[in-house]
Amino acid sequence: MADEKRKSIDPAVLTLVEKAAADEVMLCWDRLDEQSPQCGYGIAGVCCRNCAMGPCQINPFGDAPQKGVCGVDAETIAARNFLRSIAAGAAAHSDHARAVVEAFIRTADGEIPGFEIKDEQKLLSLAMDLGVSIEGKDTAAVAKEVGKTLREQFGRQDGELAFIAKAPIKRQELWRAQGIVPRGIDREIVECMHRTHIGVDQDYKNLMKQASRTALADGWGGSMIATELQDVLFGNPVPIVGSVNLGILEPDQVNIIVHGHEPLLSEMVVAASRDKELLALAKEKGAAGINIGGICCTANEILMRHGIPVAGNFLQQEVAVVSGAVDAMIVDVQCTLQSLTDVAGCYHTALITTNPKARFFGARHLEFDEANPLVAAREIVTIAVENFPNRKRKVVIPTDNKTDMVAGFSHETINYILGGLFRGSYRPLNDNIINGRIRGIAGVVGCNNAKVTHDEHHVTLVKELIANDVLVLQTGCSAVACAKEGLLVPEAATRYAGPGLAEVCEAVGMPPVLHMGSCVDNSRILMAATAVVKEGGLGDDISDLPCAGAAPEWMSEKALSIGHYFVASGIFTVFGVTWPTLGAKHLTEYLFSGIEEELGGKWAFETDPVKTARLMIDHIDQKRHKLGIDKARERVLYDMEKRRELET
Amino acid sequence: MNDEKRDVGQGGSDVLGPTYEAGKPDAPDDWRKKLRSREEMLGYLKTACRYWYSDDWYGSERRKTRA
Repeated sequence: MADEKRKSIDPAVLTLVEKAAADEVMLCWDRLDEQSPQCGYGIAGVCCRNCAMGPCQINPFGDAPQKGVCGVDAETIAARNFLRSIAAGAAAHSDHARAVVEAFIRTADGEIPGFEIKDEQKLLSLAMDLGVSIEGKDTAAVAKEVGKTLREQFGRQDGELAFIAKAPIKRQELWRAQGIVPRGIDREIVECMHRTHIGVDQDYKNLMKQASRTALADGWGGSMIATELQDVLFGNPVPIVGSVNLGILEPDQVNIIVHGHEPLLSEMVVAASRDKELLALAKEKGAAGINIGGICCTANEILMRHGIPVAGNFLQQEVAVVSGAVDAMIVDVQCTLQSLTDVAGCYHTALITTNPKARFFGARHLEFDEANPLVAAREIVTIAVENFPNRKRKVVIPTDNKTDMVAGFSHETINYILGGLFRGSYRPLNDNIINGRIRGIAGVVGCNNAKVTHDEHHVTLVKELIANDVLVLQTGCSAVACAKEGLLVPEAATRYAGPGLAEVCEAVGMPPVLHMGSCVDNSRILMAATAVVKEGGLGDDISDLPCAGAAPEWMSEKALSIGHYFVASGIFTVFGVTWPTLGAKHLTEYLFSGIEEELGGKWAFETDPVKTARLMIDHIDQKRHKLGIDKARERVLYDMEKRRELET
Repeated sequence: MNDEKRDVGQGGSDVLGPTYEAGKPDAPDDWRKKLRSREEMLGYLKTACRYWYSDDWYGSERRKTRA
C-alpha cells in the first residue's frame, strides 16, 4: 500500500506504523504487500488439496479445467472448503468452551484456588435449562452437575444439544424439519472432516446442510456454553466504564498486555497485578505501578468484568509492541500472530505463551496450571516487572488516543435495564421497534483484515446504521473499533444516532451501540433476538424480526462459523472484504438466495460499508413491511361494544 | 440541543440532548447483587426471564406449544 493512511483510520496505529518503519520492523501490511497478488483460485475457493492427486484448481471463468483429477467440480470444492472453515471455526469456539467446562468442574470441586462460582443466579438458570434438580443441593453440588451435563454436550452421539431448546419454538421446529439440529458438538465437527474427504459428500446443498448443523453446534452449543459458564465463574457482565486504544499504555508503569481469547488466566493476571508484593517490586524497579491492557477478545472479557482498559483489536497487536512500552505480552489461543516473536525480538517485550495448544517457536512458555493459576499469573507479572528496566528503544505512546466506552450489556442486563428488577422485560424495546423509533436491530461483529483499511468499515457501517435508527449490538474486534470512535457511550446517541433511536437511548441512558462481549459472546445476540421474539409483537421467529448481521472486516474461520449460525438462526448476514465461494456459481447463488427458503436467513457479500448498511436497512424495512409496522396506524380505542364484536 | 425530528412510524419525536449529570460512575451498577437469596434469584428468573423460565408466561408463544 503506497498510502500509509489507508492502513488504518486510527491515528494511534498510524503513529506506530511510522515508528515501525523507522525501527525497520515488518508489520502485517508489509507482509500483505509481499504476498500480493494472492492466488486467485484460493480467493475464489476453487482450489482442492484434499488428496495427493491434487492440488486441483477449477477455472472460475469457464475455460478448462472444469474438473479435478477425481472429477470434482467447482461447486463441491468450494462447498467442501467452506464447510471445513466452518468446522475449524466451530472447533475453535468449542474447544475454548471445553477448557472452560473443565475449569468450571474443577472449580466446583474446589480444586482451583482463586476461582469461585461468582454468579449463582446464572448457575440456577443453567440448572433450569438443563433439567438439573437444585432441591437440597448447595451451590457447589449444583455446579458439579451443571458442569458434567454440559461436558456431555461435546461427545453426545444422538438427540439434540440442550441449548437448542432456548431458541424460539418455531425456529426449533424449522431446524427439526430441515434435519439440522446438532447432536454432539464434536460429532458434528468430525462429520465435517469425513464428508469433505475425497469421495464422500459431492452435493453442495447436502454439504451446506452439515455446515448449518455444525455452525448451530457452535452458536447454540460451544460458544453458548463458553459464555454461560464464564458468566457463572467470573460474573454476568453489567455496564461498566472503560477506556480503549493504545493511549492506555502508561510510560512510567509496567505494561502487561493480555491477548487471545480465554479469560481463565487473564483473570488471575489481573488479580496478580494488584498483589502488594508485586506492586512493591515494581516500585523497586522504578515503575509507578502495574498496568494491564487487553487485545482481541481477552480484552473484551476483562474489560466487561473488571473495567480493565483495552489496548486495541486484532490489527493492533504488533503496533502495541512497537510502542516500546509493553514489558510483557501474554498470549493464549486464537488470532495471535506468529510475527509477534519477530516484533517482540526488536524490542524488550517478553512474549509469553501459556496454552499447551498454542506455542510459538522462540517465545517463552509458561503453562497455565489450572491447579494453581495464581502461581503462573504471579510468575508472568514478575517477568514483566523485572523486564521494565530493559526498555531499550524509544518509547512512543499515542497518549491522546484513548477513548471512554461503556461495555457489559449481557442480554440479562438489557432485560433489567429495560424493565427493572421487578419486571425485567424486552417490552420497551419491542414497543419502540413497533412504533418506529427504533427501525431495527443489527449485530455488527467480527475481525480486522489487513486487506481493508483497519477499522474503517466497522465504523462507517455502524455510523450509517445508527444514523438510520438501527440499534447496533457488537462483540469482538468490531466493538473495539467502534469504541475507539466514541460510539459506545450514551453521548454518541445525540451526536450520531437518528432521532428515534436517540430518543430511546436518552430515555434509557444507554449508548446506541451496545457492547455484548467477545466473539464467543455472539451467543448473547442470539439470546437477545430470542427474547425479542418471545416478548411478542414482532413475529414468531428470529427470521421475522427486523434485524440483520454483518462482519465487514472478517478474516477468521470463526467468523464464517458465526456468520453461518446467524444465517441458520434466520438472520440476513452480510460479509465484506472477500467471499470464499465466488468461483462456484450455484453454491454462491444458493447461499445468497436459495438457502433463505429453507432457513429464513441468507448470506450477502458487499465490500462497500455504506452499501452494506443499505442492504441491511432494506432488509429491515422489508421485514417491517411484512410485520405491518412500516406505516403509522391510527390508534383505535376499543369500548366494550367493540370488544364484544371482536370476540364474536 | 432540542431538535424535533421525524421517525419511521409515528412522526415527530423530541430529542432533548444531554440532560444527565456530568461525570463518570465510580463503580459499575451491579444489579445482580440486589438478588441475595436463592429464592429471590429463582423468583427473578421466573418473572423477568419468563421467556425461558416461567411456567405460565411465554410471551408471544404463550398460546402455543410449550418449549
